[in-house]
Amino acid sequence: MIHNKTILWVLTCLVLFLCGTFAFSQEPAAPSNVTAKDTPNDDGSSITITWDAAPEDSGVVGYKILRNSDAGEFEEVSKQLDANETKYEDKTIIKGKTHAYIVRAITDADASVDSQQTDAVQAKGQWFHTGKTPLFIAMLLFSAAIVWNIYNARSGKEIFVRRIPGLEAVDEAIGRATEMGRSILYSTGLGGVSGVATVASMTILAQVARRTANYETPLRVPSNDPIVMNVVREMVKNAYLEEGRPDAYNEENIFFLTEDQFAYAAGVDGIMVREKPAAVFLQGSFAAESLILAETGNSIGAIQIAGTDSEHQLPFFIAACDYTLIGEELYAASAYLSKEPMLLGSLRGQDWGKVILFAAIILGVFLELSGITWITEFLQRVN
Amino acid sequence: MKRQVPLVLCFLFGVVMCFTQFSPHQYSQAVYNEVINWALIMAPFALIFGTITLIQTHVTRIRRRIEHWQYSFVVFAGLLTMAFIGILFGPQDPAFEWLFNNVQVPLDATMFSLLAFLIASAAFRAFRARTFEATLLLIAAMIVLIGNVPVGDLIWNTVLSWLPWDNGASETRQWILGNPNLSARRGIILGVSLGVISQAIRLILGIERSYIGGGD
Amino acid sequence: MLSKLINLDRRIIFILVALAVIIPTLLPLNLPINVSNPTQRIYDYIDTLPAGSTIMIAFDYGPSSMPELNPMAKAVLRHCFDKKVRVIGMTLYPFAPTLADTLIKEVAEEKGAVNGEDYVFLGFRPGYEQVMLRMGTSIASAFEKDYTNTPLTEIPMMKDITNYDQIDLILDLASGSTTQIWITYVNVKYSQQIAAGVTGVIVSNMYPYLQTKQLIGLMPGYLGASEYEKLIGVPEKGTEGINNASPVHVLIFVLVVIGNTVFFIQRRREE
Repeated sequence: MIHNKTILWVLTCLVLFLCGTFAFSQEPAAPSNVTAKDTPNDDGSSITITWDAAPEDSGVVGYKILRNSDAGEFEEVSKQLDANETKYEDKTIIKGKTHAYIVRAITDADASVDSQQTDAVQAKGQWFHTGKTPLFIAMLLFSAAIVWNIYNARSGKEIFVRRIPGLEAVDEAIGRATEMGRSILYSTGLGGVSGVATVASMTILAQVARRTANYETPLRVPSNDPIVMNVVREMVKNAYLEEGRPDAYNEENIFFLTEDQFAYAAGVDGIMVREKPAAVFLQGSFAAESLILAETGNSIGAIQIAGTDSEHQLPFFIAACDYTLIGEELYAASAYLSKEPMLLGSLRGQDWGKVILFAAIILGVFLELSGITWITEFLQRVN
Repeated sequence: MKRQVPLVLCFLFGVVMCFTQFSPHQYSQAVYNEVINWALIMAPFALIFGTITLIQTHVTRIRRRIEHWQYSFVVFAGLLTMAFIGILFGPQDPAFEWLFNNVQVPLDATMFSLLAFLIASAAFRAFRARTFEATLLLIAAMIVLIGNVPVGDLIWNTVLSWLPWDNGASETRQWILGNPNLSARRGIILGVSLGVISQAIRLILGIERSYIGGGD
Repeated sequence: MLSKLINLDRRIIFILVALAVIIPTLLPLNLPINVSNPTQRIYDYIDTLPAGSTIMIAFDYGPSSMPELNPMAKAVLRHCFDKKVRVIGMTLYPFAPTLADTLIKEVAEEKGAVNGEDYVFLGFRPGYEQVMLRMGTSIASAFEKDYTNTPLTEIPMMKDITNYDQIDLILDLASGSTTQIWITYVNVKYSQQIAAGVTGVIVSNMYPYLQTKQLIGLMPGYLGASEYEKLIGVPEKGTEGINNASPVHVLIFVLVVIGNTVFFIQRRREE
């Protein structure tokens, strides 16, 4: 009996020992399904390597990526990657050469095992980013709507534009300044000449200048960007010329103050307090200085017309100014004031864009609610 | 001709830059980077140009003794001091740092802090429940205002302690910012974005040309 | 009397505001602070980073926003240095280098962090998106040298950091529109995690990005600073600031209530 028990013990120990030895000496399986492909949608500067994740009990603690160029020696190109990684983007490739890869699995016993070598690939740049297809389609759709309306407007069909009180008040403001014999102050905000809001602001300024030219009302434009200042000078000068009043144009009224945000606010405030303009236009891109300017304008009793696409400054302008152009109204101003059919046509195109957006949103909501997600997934592809 | 050249340039650059946004190819990215570099190179020239016009403006003020002309000397004193130390010794020089920390910082902070006073007076004057919509806006604004500081929750937890809901002021504030505020803001952003596209197309096609002096 | 009250001279309001700030500065309040979820998320993210991770802090603000944003920067730096998380500082704002450099040095000295090993300050480069995009390829292509003119190749900490791939989080401390640009160019293009600390005035702008999870967290103005200070257990300027700002908020609240009450009484009488 004792004899049998001893044999059983010895056998058990032997089995356990053999199992243990086998387990510790077992090499992890080589990474499988290793592929190397040219990274899509890039400028041809990287190759993406993918492989299947190792089973959890395989003892793999990480991976390293090895590469050869034009069938030369394999060299490590990555640091040790985590065990849960299954993808690596090699951004250090040599352009114009072909590269093959090996994925090396590292075990906790500091041993390693290499995968099979991948096919050699060469990275190429793509001319079109397929991930941006939804964006591209949207751009084409909106642009087509706007362009079609612009050219359709040339037929002379009248286009209805809703009343924008802020723009209706432009003449009132200029008239008031003229009656009082005081100046008009126009700020184009903090944006540079590449800012769309600044360009919109300058187009409004051109319309204002045409009107002030006739009345000889001084138009003061303190600028915070030297290039904007130069463009504004040219524009105002042309406006005066076209109205037949080049003599009334005074270049010194359009001047550079400073590029610093709060120094600019202090400068404009100073002008307001000293010169007490009868009308103040704050049009363009504004930041925290918006209320400092608008409240000072309010305190001197000027009629104030503000307009900005910086949506977080809108509440300040609405609280302190007489009229405020909200967001897109700023862009509509040029069309509204000039009444030029082609410009008005672009506004209608914008509305078509809105209809398309509304339709997409409503459709998206209904599809999501019914568990169909392709539209959201399609739109999320943008990256 | 004087008007045609900028219009043609605007069209070309507009279309090309738009294309580069959709093309990751190295050639189109090289074009994009090149144009961006041109824009960056223009910035210092613009600054020089700005400094010259600033000097011109103030020289004229002094020469013609325009009202408050004495202050133009202050402009020159500031300009020369900062330029002299900055160019000669660099921005890490203790003298430059001292001027920055003791002149620029307090002046900027003073202007910014004016906001506190102006917000109070503007809020007092403009926040009136004139209509139903204005009342809704006012209530939302007051909740966000008071929920923004710890005193809001303190008042809520003391005055409304019988409610089974703690810290309601800050939580309602979060809800207002994360829901009604968010949707209204998205609406404005969508409108603005369409406006930007429309404005850009007008500029690229040369329909909007007042920025180069209006007219045809 | 009523019309006097409704047309209250703004100088009286100014005096009231001044008093509402000065008095609590002299007699400090100690209000309980509840940490909001967006701030908690930034703290949790940094807190779970393993030692040796790297975060980049963009100091995109000028002197005018220092009171709100400096305390945030300090609290986050303290947290990072305590957790042995390495910090890369940089700025896209021309007026920020001096203030950011001073601040980092101060916290580093307090925590015994070593320049070049635990942190590096790269300074300023002009051009927002250009700098961001360049750093996506290589940080050294945007900043060849750090603020002290040491080439990046000679900085020990930067040896294993090439681009965003080695950075675990970008925290943008902003007083303007830089956070949107970081999101547009760096989150979208490089899938980089981004968090923000912003001035009170632009907080509401950030909520669309919180909802889309393009921002992992958000510190709103003084409140955010005080919340982070509470989380790391070092109440300082942020906490002081939010305590001092509380009475002004209450004052504006009361003023608006008075204004509306008078307005209603007047309207009733007119009717």
